[in-house]
Amino acid sequence: MSDTHDYKQIGTRPIRPDGVDKITGRANYGADYSLPGMLHGVVLRSPYAHANIKRIDLGKALALEGVYAAVSGADFPDVAAGGMGGEGGGDFKDLASNIMARDKALYHGHAVAAVAATSRELAIEALDLIEVDYEVLTPVMNLDAAMAENAPLLNDKIYTMGVNPKPEQPSNVAARMEFKRGDIDAGFADAEVIVEGEFRTPTVHQGYIEPHACLATMNQGGQATLWCSTQGHFEVRTAVSKTLDMDVCDIKVIATEIGGGFGGKTVIYQEPVAILMSKISGRPVKMVMDREEVFRASGPASATLSKIKLGAKKDGTLTAMSCWMAYEAGAFPGSSMAPGAMCIFAPYKTDNFLIEGFDVVVNKPKVAAYRAPGAPQSMYACESLMDELAYKLEMDPIDLRLKNAVEKGDQAAYGPKFNEVGLRECLIAAKEHPNYSRELTETQGRGISVGFWFNAGMQSSAEVHINENGTVMVIEGNPDIGGSRASMALMAAETLGVPYEKVRVLVGDTETAGFTNVTGGSRTTFATGMAVIQASQDIISQAKQRAAKTWEIDEDQVDWQDGHAVPMPGVNADWEPLSLAKIAAKSGRTGGPLLGRASLNARGAGPGFSVNIAEVDVDPETGKTEVVGFTAIQDAGKAIHPAYVEGQLQGGAVQGIGWALNEEYVYDDKGVMQNPGFLDYRIPVASDLPKIDTVIIEVPNKAHPYGVRGVGETPIVAPLAAVANAVRSAIGIRVGELPLSPPRLLAAMDE
Amino acid sequence: MNPKKKQALPKTIQHQPVRFVLDGELIDVNDYTTNQTLLEYLRDTLQRKGTKEGCAEGDCGACTVVLGQLSEDKESIQLSTSNACLQYLPTLDGKQVFTVESLGSELADLHPVQRSLVEHHGSQCGFCTPGFVMSLFWLYKNKTQTCYQELLEVLSGNICRCTGYRSILDAGLHMYKYASSVIPTVPNTEDKNPEAEKWMSLAGPSPTQNNANLALLKRCVRKTTFAQYAQEERQDPSKLHYLAPQSTEDLASIVLDRPDATLLAGGTDIGVSITKAFTEFPLLVYTGNIKALKKINITANQTEVGSAVTLSQIIPTLLSEYPELEDFFKRFASLPIRNIATLAGNICNASPVGDSIPLLLCLDSHLKLRTGNSHRVLPLSEFYLGYQKTALQTGEFLESIQIPRRGQSAHLASFKVSKRHDQDISAVCAAFYLKHNDRSEHSIKIAYGGMAAIPKRATATEDFINNNHLNTETILQAMNILKQEFTPLSDFRASAEYRSKVAGNLLYRFLNEVIYPDTPPATA
Ligand SMILES: Cc1cc2nc3c(=O)[nH]c(=O)nc-3n(C[C@H](O)[C@H](O)[C@H](O)COP(=O)(O)OP(=O)(O)OC[C@H]3O[C@@H](n4cnc5c(N)ncnc54)[C@H](O)[C@@H]3O)c2cc1C
Ligand code: FES
Ligand code: FES
Repeated sequence: MSDTHDYKQIGTRPIRPDGVDKITGRANYGADYSLPGMLHGVVLRSPYAHANIKRIDLGKALALEGVYAAVSGADFPDVAAGGMGGEGGGDFKDLASNIMARDKALYHGHAVAAVAATSRELAIEALDLIEVDYEVLTPVMNLDAAMAENAPLLNDKIYTMGVNPKPEQPSNVAARMEFKRGDIDAGFADAEVIVEGEFRTPTVHQGYIEPHACLATMNQGGQATLWCSTQGHFEVRTAVSKTLDMDVCDIKVIATEIGGGFGGKTVIYQEPVAILMSKISGRPVKMVMDREEVFRASGPASATLSKIKLGAKKDGTLTAMSCWMAYEAGAFPGSSMAPGAMCIFAPYKTDNFLIEGFDVVVNKPKVAAYRAPGAPQSMYACESLMDELAYKLEMDPIDLRLKNAVEKGDQAAYGPKFNEVGLRECLIAAKEHPNYSRELTETQGRGISVGFWFNAGMQSSAEVHINENGTVMVIEGNPDIGGSRASMALMAAETLGVPYEKVRVLVGDTETAGFTNVTGGSRTTFATGMAVIQASQDIISQAKQRAAKTWEIDEDQVDWQDGHAVPMPGVNADWEPLSLAKIAAKSGRTGGPLLGRASLNARGAGPGFSVNIAEVDVDPETGKTEVVGFTAIQDAGKAIHPAYVEGQLQGGAVQGIGWALNEEYVYDDKGVMQNPGFLDYRIPVASDLPKIDTVIIEVPNKAHPYGVRGVGETPIVAPLAAVANAVRSAIGIRVGELPLSPPRLLAAMDE
Repeated sequence: MNPKKKQALPKTIQHQPVRFVLDGELIDVNDYTTNQTLLEYLRDTLQRKGTKEGCAEGDCGACTVVLGQLSEDKESIQLSTSNACLQYLPTLDGKQVFTVESLGSELADLHPVQRSLVEHHGSQCGFCTPGFVMSLFWLYKNKTQTCYQELLEVLSGNICRCTGYRSILDAGLHMYKYASSVIPTVPNTEDKNPEAEKWMSLAGPSPTQNNANLALLKRCVRKTTFAQYAQEERQDPSKLHYLAPQSTEDLASIVLDRPDATLLAGGTDIGVSITKAFTEFPLLVYTGNIKALKKINITANQTEVGSAVTLSQIIPTLLSEYPELEDFFKRFASLPIRNIATLAGNICNASPVGDSIPLLLCLDSHLKLRTGNSHRVLPLSEFYLGYQKTALQTGEFLESIQIPRRGQSAHLASFKVSKRHDQDISAVCAAFYLKHNDRSEHSIKIAYGGMAAIPKRATATEDFINNNHLNTETILQAMNILKQEFTPLSDFRASAEYRSKVAGNLLYRFLNEVIYPDTPPATA
């Protein structure tokens, strides 16, 4: 149905409703809010990566004039264990201990106390007066160290989950998971060619430019209001209620404009601290991280190790795929290993596969979701090895993938059967793209990779209000990170048949919008979009009722066309079409304002496939890689606002390029990050990049009225292997560890 | 790692008042702390929240503003971009400031740059957008057309994590088209379009349109001297935490009188040492208001660069003499940093990886140092005594840098090895200078940064090359000698092995390209 749809507005590229606010500096982000009498809160952070906290004395800090509150772990309620769900994973009890360390500091930068004072300077001065006695322990800084026998333990209550029977000894391995199908041994026995490889990826940061920021105030009745930069204010409300033992109805969360999140702002850090200090002081408290704190204490994505093996027939047909993978979770259990495992073999038809995954704690900040959490790392491994397989088979890498690509009806490695998916279409588009065949120089190379993310549905609500002049107000609950207001407005406009310019979109707070899950999981345009469409349809049916009333005919004799109520074809009535504006103007007389509503738990998020082509040039003398061409091809189902779809593809590609080539946390032997600033943690700037070319493939998702499938996360999955494969082709050597930084490549070329 | 601490000033403090122009108004600031930045002032005091803080270290560009300064003849205003987070408030004295709020604020009156950005969907989260607006605004005011390469350079200090830059670059490429949305295409007799006037008058190319702003700016520039302060104030470390002398003499006497003084040039290194290393400076003395130090003097023998000359100022001069350095200079920090950072600061900061130093060493540069009224001239090669330690004595400062003019048949190259193209600190920087007539008569100078505690010439390697025929065999042997000559350290930027290896490879590349100009470089 949707493929034959004749859209009037969907697919156009109007200016986003909040475009002018963004371009004039009037959009207010987390740190832009303030209240009279406001205090500034700052956090004391552990100078050790691993230490027992023996004693904390806040007395001297509290005695300083101008200090109104000082707190440490002991001031927070005990939190019961319980899963957080969502993209990040983890447990509320751990979240609470991450927000404020209890008896142990688990990474350099872990919050151990906080102070609120009349100025930031004063609050910082007060931090110096806090006395903390630490018993320093040996830090465990990577997977090898953490999984080694007799490794120092972060938490002696961790017994590996998913192992039967329960292990006798605690360990740093928080969980083990296994996914399998068929007979892996038979599959490899059947193979004519087998390739194996080990791949490592580093700890990287989401790198949003806006640091975490919030402003909290609590009134004497115990009701809190919180402004914060977040991807999901309803989840913030839940997390605050759990960590402070408050009732959700006593917490109002207002999502400010958000300066990037990429998954990293689906969790909370300072919010409960600010609320608690506001409660203690009776004043509003603002907390803003600086860049160094952002690097040391928020975010990162898991460092990983994957050992992978593929078996195939000579014609390229895969017979067996296996992977052993370990993901760093940071200081608390809950890495993105599971989604990484679910994605790794998803693009291919496989009868026999085995995935064994481990979730491992180390003395680094607790990882947070980062765009398609877990998938870039695992698919980097798989797609690098697929490339080796193609070399071994002397096959074109796209042909090899086409040979095995999943299509409708195939059972995904992670369980469900695929509906219509666009993998083949993306592969064919890649093969036909001029960038796949242009001439390269001697030092250049080209690589391709497939990307995949399953995309989420989850819960959303929307309301559509029709103003008295027929203009439309959409109220929904997803913070707009990348232009979602524009997509919502387009879908409402299309459904209602009114011009886009007549639609406004409000991202409501937790008291004005219905419950809505995070802007994450690539779910917003799909799920919340669906709610907006349904709420618009609700308006249409009400508008038809009102027209029927006005015309004094039966409701089923009224049709809706181009934003107007018209008599059904064949209805013998001579009425002028009634526009939404006319109906709205008279709504007082026909039953009151028009208010459409929808709430849903969206099912059928169409999985998103992509194919990327990277072209690189590697300098033989310095080992520096320049990306000279990059093409991102992705199935969007239906691009509601193509410019923002392209923006997702381009932005994800660039993050992936940074991950592949430069970005990494560098630690010293004490577990202290050495490069906690943008100058040394190298996010690509414009001159590091080619113009990113994009191709949007549209294989509509039948579960969405307009065919949408999420597009936000898939774009970051394929670039890692695409770049790595291009480097492999340029230098003729496979380097199985990211980033492919100049020193690493030069050393490899030397051997 | 805990948030940075800023020193609060004692109440009795005396400091020079600051006056600057913002949106057609004079702003007088009498009460500030030495370390207060323009960004803090804009956001916290003036409540102009459009300028964002992403890093407070000059790395991200979210805080980009445009500054205007009176030209030397006082007839026009020169604009440059700057990172408000590194711009110390008192250094704004006598300048004009434009922030994103100075431009359009509604759809109808958007500046062409803003219109182009919004129509090309140049923001996703939008947090970086005000910074990009200001960088592009500066370009728009300075050029009438642009190209992709130029945009990359102008935007080298702006990070966007969301868009992948393409939409922003497209907006930049097409921004001039949007001029017609403000300047009417059909001229309406004598009626001037007030919108067009507004954009032009901000600091347009024509002096007549700038009269108001010029007049305001002139009112900002006031005379003060060190001598105006009472004797005991001048010498009391608890008083006077910031001074901006207007003459070299004044500077000399301050530095003599106050051994605790630290010179502040562009502040791009000082700024980071305040925010990162928590250094507290008892007295900062700004050199940027001293005209004599902002001069570049070119004679037949040398180019003399005053110590307040910014990199953006000196680079075109050096490029006219050494066009082969274009790529190298483009990669020095970012445009807004180059706009305020000085060559003198790069030298005096004495970082082992200061990018200009190997080059200046190869060019046999000398430093003119001054104490009170006496001068001495020191070869740059004798300036560095140890890690971050210079030959500067108490009371002494760098007045100018003397760079000899280009020699005949000289080949020069300077390399910067870092991961990112722009806005990155080098792991290794290298410079090579070769004079030769034919293959037997030649002399080479080789200098490296990042290979030892100080930037250094590779004299043993130089000697070997100078005493041998220039051929591949010599190069390969020279690379071995080079390996012996330096024992670099490993740090988070690169390992010792990498540094050693790449240092040799760069020498190979340079010589190979000079000796065999027609063959493409091959791996050593
Ligand atoms: C984002 C960013 C990127 C950077 N990228 C690079 C890069 O690519 N390459 C590079 O080499 N550097 C880089 N730097 C470092 C810095 O910008 C340069 O070293 C710059 O040249 C310093 O100049 P300045 O005028 O800002 O120095 P300031 O910070 O003002 O001063 C530096 C030091 O020199 C002293 N000083 C200044 N003038 C005098 C004088 N006349 N006499 C005696 N002492 C004096 C000061 O007291 C201080 O100790 C970067 C810095 C930042 C923040
Ligand atoms: S805030 Fe990042 S450069 Fe100024
Ligand atoms: S739009 Fe988000 S950082 Fe540029």
